Amino acid sequence: MRYIIIIGCGKTGKNLALGLSKEENVVVVDKSLKNLDSLGDDFNGKKIWADALDINTFEKAEAKGADAIYLLTGNDNINLVVGKVVKRKYGVKKVILQVNDAMKKKIFKEEGLTIVNRTYLIAEVLKKCIL
Amino acid sequence: MYIVIAGAGRLGLILGKKLKEGKHQVCLIDKSETLCNKLAGELQDILIIRGDATYPDILQQAKIEKANVCVSATSNDEDNTIVCYLAKELFGVKRTVARVNDPKHIPLYKYMEVDNPVDSTSIIARVVEEEASFTDVMSLLSIKKGRLSIVRVDIPQASPVANKALKDISLPHNSVLVSILRGPDIIIPYGSTVILPGDEVIAAALIDVEKELVKALIGKI
Repeated sequence: MRYIIIIGCGKTGKNLALGLSKEENVVVVDKSLKNLDSLGDDFNGKKIWADALDINTFEKAEAKGADAIYLLTGNDNINLVVGKVVKRKYGVKKVILQVNDAMKKKIFKEEGLTIVNRTYLIAEVLKKCIL
Repeated sequence: MYIVIAGAGRLGLILGKKLKEGKHQVCLIDKSETLCNKLAGELQDILIIRGDATYPDILQQAKIEKANVCVSATSNDEDNTIVCYLAKELFGVKRTVARVNDPKHIPLYKYMEVDNPVDSTSIIARVVEEEASFTDVMSLLSIKKGRLSIVRVDIPQASPVANKALKDISLPHNSVLVSILRGPDIIIPYGSTVILPGDEVIAAALIDVEKELVKALIGKI
């Protein structure tokens, strides 16, 4: 089982957490209790109620041992800053972040960060629909 | 100097006005259109740019590549770190200063290589503590990662240095008296200056002799 940390339990984070927790060891972090509660009883993992901008949160989540960290807070700037910091501090192998602004994606390209842009993904899928 | 300030809230605005008075060139960036329009009417000689400073094109409009200093004073720590990061990495600004809103976020600023994260909350807490407390020793400032410490000491009646001239007092090595606050007066002390009970003494010391210095001034710790 791989150890996976998901920051941000909005729609995307929740879906991902529920899916991954069936096979992997998943920890979900969110600053909203309501969002964490929304995972429901099917979620088979750990929840941490904390602020992602506080580095202690990653100590609590044992980021050092993580195989992957997903940053899905819905705030591009938070995802970028935290992504860079966890990569630098903990050397997590896979850091995946959602950044919805294409311009920021370009600037923050850094080795080891996988940046996912929702609009771009949807556009790609839509293109394929008529192939 | 040319200084770009991101965030024209209370702090950014006061800072901008102050720096302008000090004959610096200032540019303020803020997201709010209403605020920017208002400021553009009120402030002469300050360049106002409306936009999100976490975007490079907005920073470019502010001619940040010409800036000597970039200050990010928004109420979002993630935005402040990004503004400073972009200023430095993309535009080669030499010195970046940011307002830290939540002291828990300081490590973030460190990892993102912001030159001067200014922790406003802790500074205010310290000032309030000083105003509210009755302790006779107060640490005012620490410099160089805490190695140099500046303290304020109230001289009690029983102080071993009370009513003595500075030249007759022996202070620990690596410490110095900076000034004496006596009522409304600020005295820069010389060898002949006499310390009186009730004076507030500002002193600087290397951190390892701070306690010794306090002991020399008030007679106990």
